[in-house]
Amino acid sequence: MNAPDRYEKFVVPEGTKKVSYERDMKIMNAATFVIEREDHTIGNIVRMQLHRDPNVLFAGYKLPHPLQYKILLRIQTTSQSSPMQAYNLAIDDLDKELDHLKRSFEDEMVRLQSENREGL
Amino acid sequence: MDGQGQMSSSYQRFPTVKIREMKDDYMKFELKNTDPSIANALRRVMIGEVPTIAIDLVEIESNSSVLNDEFLAHRLGLIPLISERAMDMRFSRDCDTCDGDAQCHYCSVEFKLNVKCDGDQTLDVTSLDLVSSDMRENPVVAVDRAADMNVFDASEQRGIIIVKLRRGQELRLRAIARKGIGKDHAKWSPAATVTFMYEPDIHINENLMETLTLDEKREWIESCPTKVFDIHPDTQQVFVVDAEAYSYDDEVIKKAEAMGKPGLVSINAKDDSFIFTIESTGALKASQMLLNAIDILKQKLETVRLSPETEEDDAQFIDLEQHMRGGGGR
Repeated sequence: MNAPDRYEKFVVPEGTKKVSYERDMKIMNAATFVIEREDHTIGNIVRMQLHRDPNVLFAGYKLPHPLQYKILLRIQTTSQSSPMQAYNLAIDDLDKELDHLKRSFEDEMVRLQSENREGL
Repeated sequence: MDGQGQMSSSYQRFPTVKIREMKDDYMKFELKNTDPSIANALRRVMIGEVPTIAIDLVEIESNSSVLNDEFLAHRLGLIPLISERAMDMRFSRDCDTCDGDAQCHYCSVEFKLNVKCDGDQTLDVTSLDLVSSDMRENPVVAVDRAADMNVFDASEQRGIIIVKLRRGQELRLRAIARKGIGKDHAKWSPAATVTFMYEPDIHINENLMETLTLDEKREWIESCPTKVFDIHPDTQQVFVVDAEAYSYDDEVIKKAEAMGKPGLVSINAKDDSFIFTIESTGALKASQMLLNAIDILKQKLETVRLSPETEEDDAQFIDLEQHMRGGGGR
């Protein structure tokens, strides 16, 4: 009867920001990003991509509760960068990686099809 | 490039793919030069977030079968429908042409089912009895109807049984299929299975191996539950026949220790090389499932980009902070 709607898992409620950002008041270049309606899929790939960036001193994410459909992503960087810059760079790199993956998969499909045609 | 230090750098990876086997509903491929997080994200997206079409609303006009109405509605929902069009369709919750529950061709497809048993024999009502009202060139039809278009051989064109009717029983209903994702309900998941394994890297210590007698070698090979190793018939050397058969069970390592030969073999999982096995329910082709998953993941990344307002707020914040520290720059 009082069950929440199933779509609450993936639809951002009206008036809520998808990504909000809060700076750490005690540590330089540290911040927490709250990403609404996302889970390990996004959290883990962004975290691992941030780890590739030598300017990132810390990057971690957590899913605070399985029934709260949001993740917290915490980033600390050196003074050469900023959490926001590192976050944007990680997303850009992941986006490019997926473009590359898509292209190489499509090329592979074409290669496989032409191979099959020769085989016949 | 790197001189400016800031946005000019990139830590991008360049993944490669090699397809081992590809059928309509099955695919096996290698994914290399990437991270386990990407492999797992692809797996998760294929299972839970690639959209398909499935029956979601059922209006029963007449049901005198042995199954109750909700039982039938559930069974109808689980029938895979050809979902090639799903990526271009709208979710009914954000369809502005209709109010979400009506039928408009942007977000829904209507099916009718009208069967009555008149004979003495029990009558099977199957997915083939579902009649789509969709008349466009790429219609959404129940998967097994597509079998007519020579996907499977004739012996398998039987459809999916919904219910069996006895003489005099009838079933009349109208069903509306909608776009959805597996996260919402598993009936919308295009994936039967999606798994990946890390490619194993197996090294046999040849010097230590040669200290074993032939029988000991056989005994050691037998300790592996899967056929990973074998003895070469001519040289009597132990070699790896099928590294991927290894299931990371550590049995051969324990056996080597028990035989007093620790370090006989070293096995490591390569963490940048994955072997994917994907099976589709038939709603989408296996290859299309992967392509859609990549697109969905890209869309998700796009939505988590910072909005200009958020970035602006922070810029103002930095100004304020610097001001409070006594003005001026850093």
